[in-house]
Amino acid sequence: MDTILEARNLTKHYEDFSLRSVSLEVRRGSIAGFFGPNGAGKSTLVKLLAHQTPSHMGTIRVFGLSYADRERDIKNRIGYVPQEPPFYMDKTVRWTARFAAPYFARWDGGGFYGLLDQFKVNPLKKVKHLSGGQKKLLSIAFALSHGAELLILDEPTAGLDVVYRRALLDRLRAFVADGEKTVIVASHITDGLDEIAEDVSFLTDGRIVLHEDKDDLLSRWKWIHYKDGALPQAVEDRLTSVQRQPFGNRGLTGDFPAVRADLAPALAAGDAKVENASLEDILVSLIKGA
Amino acid sequence: MDPILRRSSFFYVTTLLTYCGLMGRFLITRDWPAFEIIPLFMPVWLASALLFSERDESYAFLRTLPVTDRVVVRTKFSLILSFATIQWLLMIGVVLLRDDGVSGPSTLVYVTLVCAFALLVVASLQVGIWRYGTSVMTVVIAAFVALGLVLVIVHMATLKHVDNWPALSRLAVVEWLGRAPWLSSAAVAALVLAALHGLMRIGVRVKASSEACL
Repeated sequence: MDTILEARNLTKHYEDFSLRSVSLEVRRGSIAGFFGPNGAGKSTLVKLLAHQTPSHMGTIRVFGLSYADRERDIKNRIGYVPQEPPFYMDKTVRWTARFAAPYFARWDGGGFYGLLDQFKVNPLKKVKHLSGGQKKLLSIAFALSHGAELLILDEPTAGLDVVYRRALLDRLRAFVADGEKTVIVASHITDGLDEIAEDVSFLTDGRIVLHEDKDDLLSRWKWIHYKDGALPQAVEDRLTSVQRQPFGNRGLTGDFPAVRADLAPALAAGDAKVENASLEDILVSLIKGA
Repeated sequence: MDPILRRSSFFYVTTLLTYCGLMGRFLITRDWPAFEIIPLFMPVWLASALLFSERDESYAFLRTLPVTDRVVVRTKFSLILSFATIQWLLMIGVVLLRDDGVSGPSTLVYVTLVCAFALLVVASLQVGIWRYGTSVMTVVIAAFVALGLVLVIVHMATLKHVDNWPALSRLAVVEWLGRAPWLSSAAVAALVLAALHGLMRIGVRVKASSEACL
């Protein structure tokens, strides 16, 4: 596995929150998703990975380089989209581009204005007059216009309407298509980014509580719908998020391969059926169980 | 031209031009207290330039760009140093031009000392912005500017109306340094540059570790 980003024991303390000893690896050519509830530490983690805030402990290597020695080189190769993009609010979009362009080694002005045109962001408008979604699109345009090999995106779809959200997801898929470029995205789970993520990490309370390949994860986590008394006790004991309803019950298992054999009679009799769980279901279950 | 330098220098140039207007009196007066008072406005003007240039600075945006804290700090300090030097040169130029008895060697040293003070104070205020954030430091700088103006005006009024009120440009130490004005000025400049270099190193560390200005 070709690792493009490696973090070890990242720790960051705030007055009322701490990100505690987070270690992770992101492989080249993947879309790595960091999901979690509000206040889980997603934005803090992403800021640390993009060197937007200093850590209290831990190391980060991006492209095998460290920010301490090669910050400029690394930042030339990453595109960062913050949750709330910062700009010079009193300046126009065009001014902002002229300001930023000289700092990038591979600035693509044509590509940038092409994206603005596609995103319907007027370059002559002052940034403070753009909507929240347009500021996000402007930030995305910057991230995509200097030949970045790694995108680090914090809630990139927040504030975007469904058309632009879909367009962004397609663009991210295309971005990693050659297997050389990588995307790290932190998000709430319900905005479609969970569909494109290949490696999934769940954060809660400043810790990564689960990190797994999405397909493996979804093959383990299943909803089991069943009638009263249809399941062996051994299976029922392994269910979480159980919902009992007059027309049937359902429970979530995080280890479907282990219960498959015990479940077979009920499935064969039509007293139970299996349904795929979503990442959101899994996250909620993990949070409740934490 | 570096974009940070280009953006910030606008405020310094504007402030310098207004200060030049004030300095016009330097050229025509035969009243020696003008040479005591006018240099004292320089720290106030330089701090004002800092205040205006930092007011809508977006360090969070700069951090998203491939520009290191070291470069940002160096650029900002270069700007402060450049404009302090320009103001010093302008005042020294006028002092030398007006070598007609209203100014003298000690005036030259006095101007150097005031500019050195201004440079270090404003550089410290800049570090303060990185440490405590713009909103906190805006209050501090505004208070410095207001207090500076009040003190200069009070000093000017008292100098004119109270006998034996001490003139800063005629203090014993200034007079003593004025015996070798160029040597003294060079020594002061060397000390200030060394202190500024130290402040710059502190500034890099502070800016890298603080989130107050983001």
